[in-house]
Amino acid sequence: MDISVTLFGGLRHYLPAGSSFNKCMIDVDEGSSLAALLQKIPVPSDKPYMVILNDEKVASDHFDEITIQGDDEVVLLPPIKGG
Amino acid sequence: MAWQQKILRVNLSKGSCDIEPLNMEWAEAYLGSRGLGSKYLYEEMEPAVDALSTENKIIFATGPLTGTMASTSGRYTVVTKGALTGAIACSNSGGKFGGELKNAGYDMLIIEGKSDKPVYLHIEDDKVEICDAGDIWGKTVWETEDILAAKYGDPLMRFAGIGQAGETLCRYACVVNDKHRAAGRSGVGAVMGSKNLKTIAVRGTVGTPAASREVYQKINEINARMNDREGMARDGTLAMMDVTNGFGSLPTRNNRSVRFEGANKLNPEAMHTPNPNGHTNIVTNGACFGCTIGCGRICKIDPTHFSVKDRPEYQGASGGLEYETAYALGSACGVDDIDAATFAGFICNEYGMDPISLGGSIAAAMELFDIGAIDESTTGGIKLEFGNAEALCQIAELVGKGEGFGADVALGSKRLCEKYGHPDLSMTVKGQEFAAYDGRSMQGMGLAYATSNRGACHLRADPYEHDFDTTEIEGKAQVVAESQRLVAFMDSSGLCLFPAGCGWGTEDYCELVDLVCEGDWSTEARMVETGERIWNLEKLFNLKAGLGKKDDTLPKRILEEPADVGTGKGLVCRLDEMLPEYYAINGWDAEGVPTRDTLSRLGID
Repeated sequence: MDISVTLFGGLRHYLPAGSSFNKCMIDVDEGSSLAALLQKIPVPSDKPYMVILNDEKVASDHFDEITIQGDDEVVLLPPIKGG
Repeated sequence: MAWQQKILRVNLSKGSCDIEPLNMEWAEAYLGSRGLGSKYLYEEMEPAVDALSTENKIIFATGPLTGTMASTSGRYTVVTKGALTGAIACSNSGGKFGGELKNAGYDMLIIEGKSDKPVYLHIEDDKVEICDAGDIWGKTVWETEDILAAKYGDPLMRFAGIGQAGETLCRYACVVNDKHRAAGRSGVGAVMGSKNLKTIAVRGTVGTPAASREVYQKINEINARMNDREGMARDGTLAMMDVTNGFGSLPTRNNRSVRFEGANKLNPEAMHTPNPNGHTNIVTNGACFGCTIGCGRICKIDPTHFSVKDRPEYQGASGGLEYETAYALGSACGVDDIDAATFAGFICNEYGMDPISLGGSIAAAMELFDIGAIDESTTGGIKLEFGNAEALCQIAELVGKGEGFGADVALGSKRLCEKYGHPDLSMTVKGQEFAAYDGRSMQGMGLAYATSNRGACHLRADPYEHDFDTTEIEGKAQVVAESQRLVAFMDSSGLCLFPAGCGWGTEDYCELVDLVCEGDWSTEARMVETGERIWNLEKLFNLKAGLGKKDDTLPKRILEEPADVGTGKGLVCRLDEMLPEYYAINGWDAEGVPTRDTLSRLGID
């Protein structure tokens, strides 16, 4: 199934080729965890980000426990400072 | 050494302009810019004076690195007692004015007294004159710069001045330099206006004191370490909008909510994407003196938009929406029209107003309108409803001119809400409007707002990483207190804060300061101690001005009404739990007063 993933700020630098401005669709198997989905997004491991799932922040220690559904919307946010 | 070791002191009452040596002993203790300017203000002026009185002074202070080839070295600070807050105001700006002042041979400009008629200050190296401003008083910032640039015929002359908002003593009038950079916060422009000082025109050919070739090579090496700049150049600070909206900390409709359904119409994607007319808001990015980041937005409004239709003077490219402006003139007012918010931002630059405080004040007025505390008979027929983009633009112009209901909004949110009987609706600390972060989902920011010496501010501490990591309050007092010291040091160096988010660490700031100052500035220990000294001095100024623990607080909404959605849903700011720990970490007593031991340790008399 295809899951909508939005990468904000500098993270959109890592969108797969052919993506729109800041969105891409990531194909995962039914029953996949959030962690499995995140592994398919080509953001380098040294680039930290926050994960927002359906408008709520998800702590990293819950990535393995959450099963992705077909209509989920995943957002990755970079840790930037204010100005 | 990059100091000129000279101060220009101008007394507008006497009409005198004198050059005096910089107090290098104080520079050793307080560095420059914000810190050194605050030291001069504290030593020379009784903090209890009325901010708009003749007795208040206004200081334009550069740092040791201002005007050097270090990246982002265009910064200077306007230090005075704030017209909006009654607290110490240290309002920082970029652009090219600061470097030009340094190049003219001055580290600092101290303005005192009051002229009996409108004047401007003209500085060309050691030629300094107080000039009649009769023909530019009443003009906008943009008109003033154009008139004087034509008069002197020098395209490299730089200006820092006020528009009509400063002249009419709008409480959050700012000082604008280079047409769209500003010492924005706390009403420093109103202080300038109260002195009948329209603008400062400066041209320098002295140059910043040259260091050795080896020093410049080292500065270049440090500049090259800033290796994560692309995001800021492309999206500017506006990138934060998606972060806070996703997290649930984007203040919306006067902090009634922490998430704005229209954020995707104000974010970088909206700024970069052509609208149905084929018009794209952003034209290019812009940079201040010596900056290798270029976070500034240079934007154009769709010429068919209601705000600029038949007004060609607003159809050109100028300073566009930064994150704070997009929040204040967007989500805070419930407005999702990027061109309307851009127009209101143009008006802020043109008339000389702080867009954060303007937006916060309009948002408060919109809530007063919403609950029926004011109506169209108050507003002059304007339907001041949340989300009304046309009303936003109308009110912005009225405030700039000080006309109609705009004169009420020019009082600032606190005085406005008090006037109409609902002081709790003012989203302010020490009278200064919130920046673009909600203190319920970002508990550290709540503490930072409450304890900021210049009133609510997002740039006096750096709790961002901790806040986005957790809403639990453990550790936040420490993060806020420690980062307040680091930021105070950085602000005093003459550099911008943004390199710290683009690849530089605190050690890079230390190394740069060490390269251009006498003595050993290379250690983080000295950085922290200097920052702590500055923070305590600012605190002492405020205490002597009559502020105290009662002012280290937040609006009732943030303390008692839970956040409605997002990561902080159900939370209020737990300020009462964090504040005692914060005071203790600082070496202050239970009332927030620095103890004798703390002051002695820091060498403050």
